[in-house]
Amino acid sequence: MDPPGAAWRDLIVFRAAPRPRQELWLSIGAFLAVLIVWLIVAESGLVHPQILPSPRAVMAAWWRLFTEAEYISDIGISVARVWAAFLASAVIAIPLGILMSGYRAITALFEPIIDFVRYLPVPALVPLTLIWLGIGEGSKVTLLWIGTFFQLILLIADDARRVPKEFIETGRTLGASDTALMKDVLLRAMLPNMVDSLRITLGWCWTYLIVAEIVASSSGIGYELWTARRYGKSPEVFAGILTIGIIGLASDQAIRFLHRRWFRYLH
Amino acid sequence: MANSSFIRIAQVAKEFTAPDGSIIPVVEPLSIDVQEGEFVVFVGPSGCGKTTVMRMVGGLETTSAGDIYLNGKRVEGPNRDKGMVFQSYSSFPWLTVLGNIRFGLKYRDDISADEKERIARHYLDLVGLTPFADYTINRISGGMRQRVAIARTLAANPLVLLMDEPFGALDALSRERLQIQLMDLRRAERKTVIFVTHDVDEAVLLADRIIVFSARPARVLADIAVSATLPEKRSLDILDIPEFRKIRRDVLALIRNEETRMEAAE
Ligand SMILES: Nc1ncnc2c1ncn2[C@@H]1O[C@H](COP(=O)(O)OP(=O)(O)O)[C@@H](O)[C@H]1O
Ligand SMILES: [Mg+2]
Repeated sequence: MDPPGAAWRDLIVFRAAPRPRQELWLSIGAFLAVLIVWLIVAESGLVHPQILPSPRAVMAAWWRLFTEAEYISDIGISVARVWAAFLASAVIAIPLGILMSGYRAITALFEPIIDFVRYLPVPALVPLTLIWLGIGEGSKVTLLWIGTFFQLILLIADDARRVPKEFIETGRTLGASDTALMKDVLLRAMLPNMVDSLRITLGWCWTYLIVAEIVASSSGIGYELWTARRYGKSPEVFAGILTIGIIGLASDQAIRFLHRRWFRYLH
Repeated sequence: MANSSFIRIAQVAKEFTAPDGSIIPVVEPLSIDVQEGEFVVFVGPSGCGKTTVMRMVGGLETTSAGDIYLNGKRVEGPNRDKGMVFQSYSSFPWLTVLGNIRFGLKYRDDISADEKERIARHYLDLVGLTPFADYTINRISGGMRQRVAIARTLAANPLVLLMDEPFGALDALSRERLQIQLMDLRRAERKTVIFVTHDVDEAVLLADRIIVFSARPARVLADIAVSATLPEKRSLDILDIPEFRKIRRDVLALIRNEETRMEAAE
């Protein structure tokens, strides 16, 4: 039996055992601390409300956005754009990344192109997507797709390369064909890492979404954010930023949760 | 084919290219014949090329010269005829114990699904893992993992079982248990086995024949017919009988001599 307080002390011992309960409380505490400092600073009147609106003003702005500006449909459309681009990236990047990891010809063909596009700053491509696809949904989803696909494919290829050679050779000596090997062994072995790669890429999608919605859009969280800025409504700006943060945090935690459930054998 | 050996390694050589482009000869042209049902153990100084020879038999490595024949057919790549058990744990962590053994039968289209299930359970039982059928791999010990790997490979019904230091990472007690179990399995199955080890006791205990390799590049230094002196049915008690000790001493002397020679050359 641990002496009382040992669990808490483990949090500051180098490489101590995990303490999920205490860690959770600490995280919640940090979150609340930021909130409280914000509240104190904003309410004390030390900072101009235009620079730092109070939490109460932000809550009110949220309320206005949801009741008067149909914010829920803005959120809906932003989420839809992110997921459309993310799924389009994943559906192509997963098979192509796996093939890249296994066939040198495919790596040689695609890698220079991928590396080239990967280093282009995505905002620089906005004019191009506008010229090609106009200001409709196509240009925004394409921009997000470009921003994520070329990163994701390399992550996937790396995940596939990290599968132990013994697994592949075991599959072969048990009679698996190349396709069976990729489907039944490689994909299955890399799956946990792949879900992590997808989770990280989903986060990047949100970054590019805001770029796309600010530059060329008349709907979405990014659009509302930028409109609010134009009219100097900083509570609405804060509400927009926090909305993105909350959606990001929630989807990240959801995927982590699924990761723990699906890949119990790792935990 | 003129030669009727089950496995024929005919004038096989292997060289690797080092990163700096120089050629490293790892296996000198060597020939080994293995009869069907024979248990052949490869021993030799570490790094001499035992694994490389075995991997060439398994089709996992190409030969630089010469050919290998299994049951009259030239070895051209890995397939179900050549089952492999690796030293490192190669059981799939996303499957259960039974799931892993079933995987050994996944690509067999010569038998029905019912038959596959029966065979999987048969091998599960044979390696004594029936109580652990539904355990995931990360919950069982190293020794059990190797039993899973052996059962999985046997379930695929290969012509030859290739085992590369399969017990090398186990503690002494688990190793003894697995050695005994392997002897039993082997008597029941009459499989042809090629087994690599650096443990000379293990070699003499298990082998019908021991092949001692020279230091790199590998040549055959000695080919010792263990079954000519030791009984076929063996237990761990055999470690004390004089015939066993003599073979063990001879093999050790050969390997030590090679290692001295190797050190002198450096
Ligand atoms: N893919 C490879 N490329 C270059 N050298 C290799 C490769 N595989 C093995 N070798 C070298 O060949 C030699 C024999 O290796 P191996 O067959 O694994 O020896 P053993 O199993 O007898 O210990 C070693 O010196 C090793 O470094
Ligand atoms: Mg070896």
